[in-house]
Amino acid sequence: MTHLGGAESTLFWFAAPLSVLGALTLLFARKAVHAAMGMAMTMILLGIFYITEQAEFLGIIQIFVYSGAVMMLFLFVVMLVGVDSSDSLVETIRGQRVAGLLFGLALLALTISGVARTTFPSFIGLDKANASGNVSGLANLIFGKYVWSFEVTSALLITAAVGAMLLAHRERLRPKLSQADWSRRRIREGVNVAGLPVPGVYARHNAVDTPALLPDGSISELSVSRVLKARGQVVNTQTLTAATEEFEESTGDSTQEEGGQQ
Amino acid sequence: MAADSFVQAHIDYGAVAPMLIVFGTAMVGILVEAFVPRASRFWVQLPLAIAGMVVSLVVLVTISRGHEVITAGGAVVIDAPALMLQGTVLVLSIIALLAMAEPLGTRSPDAFTQSGASVPGSPAEANAVRLGATSTEIFPLTMFAVGGMMLFPSASNLLVVFIALEVLSLPLYILTGLARRRRLLSQEASMKYFLLGAFSSAFFIFGAALIYGFAGSLDFDAINKAIGTNGGMDGLLAPGVLLVAVGLLFKAGAVPFHSWTPDVYQGAPTPVSGFMAACTKVAAFGALLRIFYVAFESLRWTWQPVLAIVALLTMVIGAVLSVVQTDIKRLLAYSSITHAGFVLVGLIALNTVGISGTLFYLAAYGFSIIAAFALVALVRSGGTEATHLSQWAGLGKTNPLLAGTFSFLLLAFAGIPLTSGFVAKFAIFSAAVGHGATWLAVVGMAMSAVTAFVYVKVIVLMYFSEPAEGTAVVTPSALTGISVAVGTVLTLLLGIIPAPLFEMTQHSTLFLR
Amino acid sequence: MQTLATSVPGLSALATSGDAGVAHNATGVASVGWLIIALPLLGAAILLIGGRRTDKFGPYLAVALSWAAFVVGLLLIIQVHGLNSGDRAFHKHLFSWIPTGGFNLDFGLLMDPLSLAFVMLITFVGSLILVYSLGYMAHDPDRRKFFAYMNLFIASMLTLVLADSYLGLFVGWEGVGLASYLLIGFWNYNPEFASAANKAFFSNRVGDFGFLLAIFFMFSAFGRVDFAGVDAAVPGTGKGTLIGIGLFLLLAACGKSAQAPLQAWLGDAMAGPTPVSALIHAATMVTAGVYLIVRSHVIFDATPDARLAVCIVGAFTLMFGAIVGCAKDDLKKALAASTMSQIGYMVLAAGLGPVGYVFAIFHLLTHGFFKAGLFLGSGSVMHAMNDTINMRRFGGLWWIMKVTWVTFGLGFLAIIGFPGLSGFWSKDKIIEMAFVGSGWRPWVFGLTALIAAGITAFYMTRLFIMTFHSNPRWEKPEFDPHEAPMTMKVPMIVLALGSAFLGLILGPTNIITNWLEPVVGRQEGHAVLSAPVLMILTFVLMVAGIWWAWRLYWVEVPVTPPVGTPLTRLARRDLGQDDFNEAAFQRPGLHLTRALVFADNRGVDGAVGGLAAFIGGTAERLRRLQNGFVRSYALTMLVGVVAILGVLLVVQ
Repeated sequence: MTHLGGAESTLFWFAAPLSVLGALTLLFARKAVHAAMGMAMTMILLGIFYITEQAEFLGIIQIFVYSGAVMMLFLFVVMLVGVDSSDSLVETIRGQRVAGLLFGLALLALTISGVARTTFPSFIGLDKANASGNVSGLANLIFGKYVWSFEVTSALLITAAVGAMLLAHRERLRPKLSQADWSRRRIREGVNVAGLPVPGVYARHNAVDTPALLPDGSISELSVSRVLKARGQVVNTQTLTAATEEFEESTGDSTQEEGGQQ
Repeated sequence: MAADSFVQAHIDYGAVAPMLIVFGTAMVGILVEAFVPRASRFWVQLPLAIAGMVVSLVVLVTISRGHEVITAGGAVVIDAPALMLQGTVLVLSIIALLAMAEPLGTRSPDAFTQSGASVPGSPAEANAVRLGATSTEIFPLTMFAVGGMMLFPSASNLLVVFIALEVLSLPLYILTGLARRRRLLSQEASMKYFLLGAFSSAFFIFGAALIYGFAGSLDFDAINKAIGTNGGMDGLLAPGVLLVAVGLLFKAGAVPFHSWTPDVYQGAPTPVSGFMAACTKVAAFGALLRIFYVAFESLRWTWQPVLAIVALLTMVIGAVLSVVQTDIKRLLAYSSITHAGFVLVGLIALNTVGISGTLFYLAAYGFSIIAAFALVALVRSGGTEATHLSQWAGLGKTNPLLAGTFSFLLLAFAGIPLTSGFVAKFAIFSAAVGHGATWLAVVGMAMSAVTAFVYVKVIVLMYFSEPAEGTAVVTPSALTGISVAVGTVLTLLLGIIPAPLFEMTQHSTLFLR
Repeated sequence: MQTLATSVPGLSALATSGDAGVAHNATGVASVGWLIIALPLLGAAILLIGGRRTDKFGPYLAVALSWAAFVVGLLLIIQVHGLNSGDRAFHKHLFSWIPTGGFNLDFGLLMDPLSLAFVMLITFVGSLILVYSLGYMAHDPDRRKFFAYMNLFIASMLTLVLADSYLGLFVGWEGVGLASYLLIGFWNYNPEFASAANKAFFSNRVGDFGFLLAIFFMFSAFGRVDFAGVDAAVPGTGKGTLIGIGLFLLLAACGKSAQAPLQAWLGDAMAGPTPVSALIHAATMVTAGVYLIVRSHVIFDATPDARLAVCIVGAFTLMFGAIVGCAKDDLKKALAASTMSQIGYMVLAAGLGPVGYVFAIFHLLTHGFFKAGLFLGSGSVMHAMNDTINMRRFGGLWWIMKVTWVTFGLGFLAIIGFPGLSGFWSKDKIIEMAFVGSGWRPWVFGLTALIAAGITAFYMTRLFIMTFHSNPRWEKPEFDPHEAPMTMKVPMIVLALGSAFLGLILGPTNIITNWLEPVVGRQEGHAVLSAPVLMILTFVLMVAGIWWAWRLYWVEVPVTPPVGTPLTRLARRDLGQDDFNEAAFQRPGLHLTRALVFADNRGVDGAVGGLAAFIGGTAERLRRLQNGFVRSYALTMLVGVVAILGVLLVVQ
């Protein structure tokens, strides 16, 4: 720690534990949102480190791309999956955690011992590299010495895109049917020409899980989705109609009586 | 570093043309996916991919041979070993791709699911199959992988090595998850491969960072020059070297970084397992060769004993565990681990015999293993691949051609004379004895005896048991036919007249620095 | 030679040293010497590639090509015979095979008296077996394959003896193993044969392991592995290296020649479907180990310690085989045990050094004839008795199968060393040479060889009486014994003639010693007991053996075997060789496997064949371990990384 400036040093010792804390949050947080926030924190702090070390462009990109774009994408996904959903963190393999911890610490100890035995030469700093501006210096490297690496990375990106399409995108194999197509099909087939009956409308309920009633008071099977029926999520119409009667009684607005009067 | 002026990296296009052709073909393949009607994609993609690799090979042999340079700003080196390895990757990839493409009379590669995005066993999947969906994306993906494999052993800079590692790995992760049958197993394998691959990449990056800290450069030559001069920083160097080795040994499937191999080889579409076992090994060992012979050459007394122990463990664990396997793909996976151990024995010999033996071994093994996996893909039971050994019982009676060919390939793995396996093992072990690692040769011989026992067990099962119920062999098209025939004939030819290939490998031992 | 003379003081002056001359480039017939290998190989190729189209003429073609190889070999011998004894070696370079860096291996043929003697044995006896098989296999639907494999076998065996380097020898060595593996039962779907084939293959692999190591040692010590190069480099090489090479070569020989401790497979290989395949193992293939030792005589000459090991192995096995042979009721297995014992004689002789090499080969040649005759005779008996093989079901066959009886009888008399017949000339010489030397060795080896000769007489007489004499133990409607067809009879007669007279022709006339001397060298040795005394002792023991067997079995042989003494029971179980193997090799192997399997996940339910039993328990434990989790794999990698870095830290 020979040439680290005072302010830089202070910043480092303040931010470094926080970035480690963020990383640990990522590992140990039960909820996905917390983990993502922890990771975002680490990313931002890393960006700050880069900036303090004179790599402004890299630091900004780090914050923009990783914290801004990538992490926000993660959060969107987490929200789609459900903020409340959390993975089971119960470890089923006996000794796995202990062993993982032990060997992780051992690796840490080994690398630290390696680094500790090292006497570093004095820092060069980025002044020379940044002589014509940080961005230009970086550009010179990317499009100069490292142009091949830069270009080959495109293969990686294309592969990733194609792979994502292949594993997640379901190709549309038939043209999408428009409303007119559906209508024509119903007429041609002569089944449910007027469309399927809509769900029932009750005094207090009006939803896809409330079946419509036929004139004889029985349930119209076609008015609710098969899926709901299979899941047993269809509401019992008895309680719905009972509620209607109760409601009518309380308001004294009975259709039957009216009918009777007229 | 003069930052004020832009220096354009000179690229010798004659040297890198083979790689550019392969990558270019891959990108054209992506366009084909976008613009060619689904029904004709297969018959556009397959010839395109094959043509791309053949042209690349022709360019490699005719033009690139005259361009032995370090080019593209020190990123790529095209020298004799690189040309040899790239050529090997190309030839192996061509026959592997033929086996992967096997359509079995349909318009889609048979080993791959027609709808990777649908849930296994769902109506959407059945629908996709009925309507003739295809996964012809595998062709450009394979081409990207081949490109990565060609770059891997010719990279002359740790950064490029890492990018090449990812370029070759990412398509393989995807391909692994696309098996048509037993899809859950396949997806699980893909996930495992991806996670462990990321894990090993992390070690590699860590190691590369340590080395950069040590040498101030990622170029192999600069690293080698820095070793011995940067006193006081050795604490960074040795861990860096070994962590980089971990990343590469993972790809090569060496113990203790092998645990993904059986699961992935079992889950992946069978011809893809063959492709990985052959081509990935060539690329990974090629990169190991270059890194250890060029970048870390001065540090040999540090890494040589470590790699020797890794080689020992790899041979022993692979051989012993192959004894108890009951799934033919897992058996071949463990066998490939053992073979990785044998190759490591040659690699650490640190002499020209070792290099040429390693190169020979990789090529010889590649031809055999691609043919073997292509054959495994043909044995079916109840609509799915019959990979359990009990389903292979009596194949000698019901399908003598397949059983005979497979037995021959197994004998080659066992290293029986007059097969390429014997010559390859001989070269490797004589190199080991030549540099004083007799104990490795002794263990290697013992382990090859153990694995021979395993292979013979399979042969006995095929020939001496009553045929298993319900096992049938599908009749492949000429694609698999060519793939198997080339693999088998070369296995035989390299056993009888290995001299031509040997001469090639012997002229490919000089690394450009 | 220095070490030799000091280690065995009882030796007289060196007669001639080996390697009198350097091999000349092949001329005349020798320049087409490769035809000897190519002809049978061509036959195998035509029959295997031609498929069913060759069903009709294939077997005849195979026989013809095999005889053609014999003719070429004969012409070659005639050519060689006309030369001075020092010039009788030809070398023919064929092609460059494995060029690895500074080590270029050429594939070539070495045609010297030693290899030519083998060529004669292999082509002549092999061709006779093929003729015999025309009759024996007449009704087998797969006989085309059988003849193809036989031709492959002969070609491999010829490669083995004609190769000019250890690596070339190894190619033939493996080819022979493969062909024998095919022959033990490729056309017979039977788990018993499968396990026998497995055992044979595995024992052979252990031997091959030794062989390859020997080759690698040679490569590292001499930089060459051709015979000429190795022989030339031996004198300047350290003793430790030579002992290592010698012991590994011995291990190789043990695997191929069924010598202790790798003897277990030979008896089981007799499960093979025909006595013919049993024969090729017994009379031809197993001699490869003896050939290897004699071919490497320069190495063994320089290392008396390695030679002592060879002697011990030979002496142990010859006694082992003889004792086992006394208890076997299976005709083929009894003959197999006897083979083991006879090869033990040859190995012992080879281990004795220059005094014994010639007689090892001499006995090998005579044994090839009489053992082939015995096996063909046993095949004839089996053929007549509906493939029954249990001797307790035979008896009184001599009147019905006169030709078989006479030919078998001649083989029997030859093997027990009846004066005047082949075995007498070769075996008595080995016994005499075993008594050469000083200290404890001549007494131990000599007495072993001597006593085993008596036991040989006992078990062979037992076998002969039980088969052809004593009371008939078969019923007429069930069995209808008949004499074999002509194609089977003729080879038997020819071999019987060989059994009777080959020894007489080659032995007392010194033809064999003069023929082989330029290659392997020879010394006269003085036995601690004089030759006539030994001859008389041998004869007395032989008569005693015959008499004892006659007394026990002549009148009546019980159909069910009596319980017998503990030794008999042990001998019936091959003196516990399988138990020994299990305890010494299989169990530790299992434990090692189990320990390692722990780390593996799925590959473990319901295994193949014999493995199933021991894997069962492991599978249960593994299921509890529930491996296959990616985090476990990651942990393995982490452990690996830490271990590697830790080792590095410790080393630094």
